[in-house]
Amino acid sequence: MSELTPEIVPRLAPGCRLNATGGAEDLLLIPEGALRLKGPGRAIVELCDGVRSLRAIVDELHQRFPSEEVVRIETEVLSFLTRLRDRGVLEAI
Amino acid sequence: MKYQPRALIAEVTHRCPLHCVYCSNPLEMQKRSEELSTEDWTSVFRQAGDMGILQLHLTGGEPLARRDTAELVQAGRTAGLYINLITSGVGLDEARLDALVAAGLDHIQLSFQDTEEATANEFAGTRSHAVKLRVAEMIRQRRIGFTVNMVVHRRNLDRLEHMIAFAEATGAQRLEIANVQYYGWALRNRDALLPTREQLDRSVPILDAAQQRLQGKLRIEYVLPDYYAKYPKPCMNGWGHQQLLIDPAGRVMPCHAAPVIPGLEFANVRERPLRWIWDESPAFNRFRDETWMPEPCRTCDRRARDFGGCRCQAFLLTGDASATDPVCTLAPAHGVIDDILARVNGEGTPQWVYRIDPV
Repeated sequence: MSELTPEIVPRLAPGCRLNATGGAEDLLLIPEGALRLKGPGRAIVELCDGVRSLRAIVDELHQRFPSEEVVRIETEVLSFLTRLRDRGVLEAI
Repeated sequence: MKYQPRALIAEVTHRCPLHCVYCSNPLEMQKRSEELSTEDWTSVFRQAGDMGILQLHLTGGEPLARRDTAELVQAGRTAGLYINLITSGVGLDEARLDALVAAGLDHIQLSFQDTEEATANEFAGTRSHAVKLRVAEMIRQRRIGFTVNMVVHRRNLDRLEHMIAFAEATGAQRLEIANVQYYGWALRNRDALLPTREQLDRSVPILDAAQQRLQGKLRIEYVLPDYYAKYPKPCMNGWGHQQLLIDPAGRVMPCHAAPVIPGLEFANVRERPLRWIWDESPAFNRFRDETWMPEPCRTCDRRARDFGGCRCQAFLLTGDASATDPVCTLAPAHGVIDDILARVNGEGTPQWVYRIDPV
């Protein structure tokens, strides 16, 4: 599979969605169950709206967490989204 | 709650336009007049959401045989559940699919009996394959989760490569290659359906290669026939641990085959709250912990992983629901499986028997 680049526009695959906010845990509901989202997981998935590019998502997160280095945010987001993509729950358009 | 339920399997009807030779529904099916109403199911889904259940699998029979499928989907979504429709596709047209999607349906699991029309129809006991192809195309045109479920057995496992290519062409995200499980009607036809060891050995490298090639595109899940396994399957991930099933008449059970076990009484959602049934009812607690286990399970390192296997299968094959699942190579009764496999791998294929629909 190809690498994710800053230009791609990620969104959840059909049949995948976040659970309602305010629940006991943050979950990504998928066809065969649910993935538990930790830390900024939910915020990142919410930004995968099919409009923002990966670069825009990283910029947005950097604005929210200015004390974090951009490079670090980028590395974390990339590895998280790659895992989701390999799991078949995220697509790049 | 010591055990947190995660999935509710709602068998909303036993009626079905198909007559598959491996139908896993119980031999004694519920009639239409006994089915729960829309309001009954709505109440059940609300209770399920309150208990922290995440997923609702609408199944049957054929769930589309009920007229209120879209209302059931909506009721499930209102209760906060993720909704999966497990269907043959028969009874679905563009308008009805739109209504289901609008009601909040998350995912469809569409079953296929084969990639060849003639044999697919033969296995299903009905002409349904062409309908399914049209339904697959309708699903592909909408943004909805889509799993192709291919039921495999001796007569079609050799077409595994075709099945994978077929699933790729449908645009599905997932493919389940599900070997028949031998309960209900399927048990009656087992000796005609169990694949040979040679067939299984051929299938494994095909699946491994396809899984690699299609990673991130098509997720392939493979359910092995447990008769050939070394250790039993962790049936339902443990009796009353994560899942519960409600039959068309409202009886709540740990799995769909559980009524074969003598002496179990299943509470009904018409009479009891779902939470009580899950927490307190004797049927859900019967095999929940490890106190029922015989040797070798009781001291086995794997007991927390496979829970001694399937209680229903243990009963069906040994007459004792508290026996180690005989598919386990460590089970005292494993000879039963050896005999069946010797027969299946030695003799010709017997004829199967079709089942008829409930009234």
